[in-house]
Amino acid sequence: MRKYVPKDNVQAKSYYTDRFWVAPRVPRSTVEDTHFLAVVEAVGTQANETYVELGQLVIHINPKNNFEVMKTLKEKCGYTQCSEQSAVDYLAQDNEFELFWQLLNINEAKRIRVICRLANGLAIESIEPLYKSANFAEREMFDMFGIKVNNHPFLKRILMPDDWEGNPLLKTYPLQGDEFASWYEVDKIFGKEYRDIIGPENRDPAKIDTEDTKRFSRVGYEVPFGADISEGETKTAIEYSETFLVDYNKNSSKQLDERR
Amino acid sequence: MQVANKLSPFFENLNFERDDNTMVINFGPQHPSAHGQLRLVLELDGEQVVKAYPDIGYLHRGIEKMAENMTYNEFLPTTDRLDYIASTSNNYAYALAVEKLIGVEAPRRAQVIRTMLLELNRIISHLFFVATHALDVGAMSVFLYAFREREFAMDLMEDYCGARLTHSAVRIGGVPLDIPKGWLENAAAFCDKVDYEVEHTYEALLTENRIWKMRLEDVGVISAEDALSWGCSGVMLRGSGVKWDIRKEEPYELYPELDFDIPISDRCDSYGRYKLYIEEMRQSTRIIRQLIPMYKDTKPQLMAHSPQYISAPKEEIMTQNYALMQHFVLVTQGMRPPKGEVYIPTESPKGELGFYIKSEGEPYAYRLKCRAPSFFHTGLLQKLLVGTYIADVVTIIGTTNIVFGEVDR
Amino acid sequence: MAQHQVNYASSAGLPIALTSVDKLVNWGRSNSLWPLTYGLACCAIEMMASGASRYDFDRMGTIFRASPRQADVMILAGTLSKKHSEFARRLYDQMTEPKWVISMGSCANTGGMFNTYATVQGVDRIIPVDIYLPGCAPRPETLQYAMMMLQKKIRKESADMKKNTKQDLTTQTGKRARLI
Repeated sequence: MRKYVPKDNVQAKSYYTDRFWVAPRVPRSTVEDTHFLAVVEAVGTQANETYVELGQLVIHINPKNNFEVMKTLKEKCGYTQCSEQSAVDYLAQDNEFELFWQLLNINEAKRIRVICRLANGLAIESIEPLYKSANFAEREMFDMFGIKVNNHPFLKRILMPDDWEGNPLLKTYPLQGDEFASWYEVDKIFGKEYRDIIGPENRDPAKIDTEDTKRFSRVGYEVPFGADISEGETKTAIEYSETFLVDYNKNSSKQLDERR
Repeated sequence: MQVANKLSPFFENLNFERDDNTMVINFGPQHPSAHGQLRLVLELDGEQVVKAYPDIGYLHRGIEKMAENMTYNEFLPTTDRLDYIASTSNNYAYALAVEKLIGVEAPRRAQVIRTMLLELNRIISHLFFVATHALDVGAMSVFLYAFREREFAMDLMEDYCGARLTHSAVRIGGVPLDIPKGWLENAAAFCDKVDYEVEHTYEALLTENRIWKMRLEDVGVISAEDALSWGCSGVMLRGSGVKWDIRKEEPYELYPELDFDIPISDRCDSYGRYKLYIEEMRQSTRIIRQLIPMYKDTKPQLMAHSPQYISAPKEEIMTQNYALMQHFVLVTQGMRPPKGEVYIPTESPKGELGFYIKSEGEPYAYRLKCRAPSFFHTGLLQKLLVGTYIADVVTIIGTTNIVFGEVDR
Repeated sequence: MAQHQVNYASSAGLPIALTSVDKLVNWGRSNSLWPLTYGLACCAIEMMASGASRYDFDRMGTIFRASPRQADVMILAGTLSKKHSEFARRLYDQMTEPKWVISMGSCANTGGMFNTYATVQGVDRIIPVDIYLPGCAPRPETLQYAMMMLQKKIRKESADMKKNTKQDLTTQTGKRARLI
């Protein structure tokens, strides 16, 4: 029977999971009596959920007011740097993306993470007017997930070529790429008509083409290029192993006591 | 867009027919001073840059996608190829993030070794910076001298882990190997050598050199607010007068016990950053010297004891049944960290290198995001280059110290 | 150069002048191989190291050039991504004949550990390769060894580059095509 592969998530899966296995969760603590209390009060009702996870405050917000929350955090709480921002694909489970912003307060050495859930197909407001680092980070998010960003100055693909198809970090995108990806360089350089001549990609790094006598011939069985080896090769003496060490004499060489 | 193939090549290098009298010039992606595969599209008015557009992605290899398809231990050697000039700092940042997620702490000897390797990598990276920056600006001899010292540091790395460039010298939960015999003495000798050469070669050749100063002073000026807003970190931030070093402010590993200074510069230009790199090398040798006596008081345990996540030492695997079973499960299935998400920043030689890991309790990370300092420094180029002259472009690219394995991932 | 054969008449071979031009030309070609600094990724650092102080490449007549017009051999050091592939091919086309290619490192040879959507699975898909240098990253000594192997290969070749077979590609249908 053919193995079942879910279409909505083609990433690697564990081949065996105990039926009774329940994954534990990293402990979360409440914000009370931590130094993040002022931040939570400043954000106020715009925060849906707040907790502290592994020493960093996590704030869940609505995607609609991400700009206002960031503005509050930057201007009232001193979070002057947005060190990272990206998304997580939850399309298979909830048809949503989880977006996160990692903010840093340099003066007090505090980090918080702002999280929102954005439904598939909706766009998020750009925070580029507040944090210039979002210029590249949002372009990368657009490139990798296809999440549109409103009011971004230059929303174009950044890592993949402009004429690329598909968003690589989606869970539906296979690791080794789709058909477009596998022929990309051939189509671009030579044209589609060269696909036949060049042939498909060899994704098996251990594959050895025994017919390819020029590049991969077996050691000791080398034959001239293009020779017909369907009848089997004849064994030849290995030339280099004898000549390589022929003059090696330990007495004549001097070993340095230390590296100069 | 024109479809380019062999028969109809597509020349976008120069475009003269424009109404606004500016010239568009293409720089890279294969240029000797592009530090890898940076492509810059520059709009020039005379010799002055009026618009710069960094085009990246020429080394995009899908490392974040690979992380979703590999178990946590499998992925570790891939992190070598992020910032390939200082591999151990990537290994360490990744290992630390996973360790925080699973809640283990490396034993003390492993911590000493890790800190030594991190600082050694910092010296390697900074020497490389001095070499390539000087080569870009035009001082060829400094390149040769700096590579000479860098080879000694590579020898030390090679003695420890067997690799010159892609070390994988850190594991999740500790380090794989103990320090070989005579390594500490070599490391101490290397520190002396670096200190001597920094003072008598690089500083003597460059710091007061008239040409060097003219090429670097007041080039690539970035204010503190801009540096923060553009997501700069590391030397780019300290060169603008912001005192921020993750080793001091959010300490990890043995850094709280060590005595070292964080040099800052308020010159905001390339020359100030060059001075910081030189000074940081001295601080790194100072750290390594302090760590050598600390190593001698540690117990020989190298990997943390945490059977659920980390394999037992080899002797136990070979002698005890349960350890062998656990090892088998960990190798074939991989560790399953608890559900949760973690973002851990570390101070790599280039700046803030952090890993965001989202775990769903599976042996594969649900999402791994590598926060690479160079990525944001490349984004800064579109601000930094505007208004400068074309002769300074290479200096500014050099001073940001970007490495493209990290930018494109 | 010292290996001159004098009894061409008795062996009834090619005219004496042509054979020695071959040798003379190949001697010149093989001893001043100027590579194009085509550093792409990690291997580029090792390529730089082989040009720098300890593994001084200049003593072998190998001087790195920054322009494809001045280069004889392209050392493709590192991962070639699909976005970059057209530039690699263009630089190869810009090099003047005779030209050779060394594919340095696992990523350039076969795609290596980056078996992903964004990486070209072996640069021989787009340019013909003469020497495959394994390793991740190969040490500078091995790059020097690869250069010596290339010299050995050039000395065996004909001076007329049209006679030298480059890499052949076998199609699915069994017909062979030449990647020039």
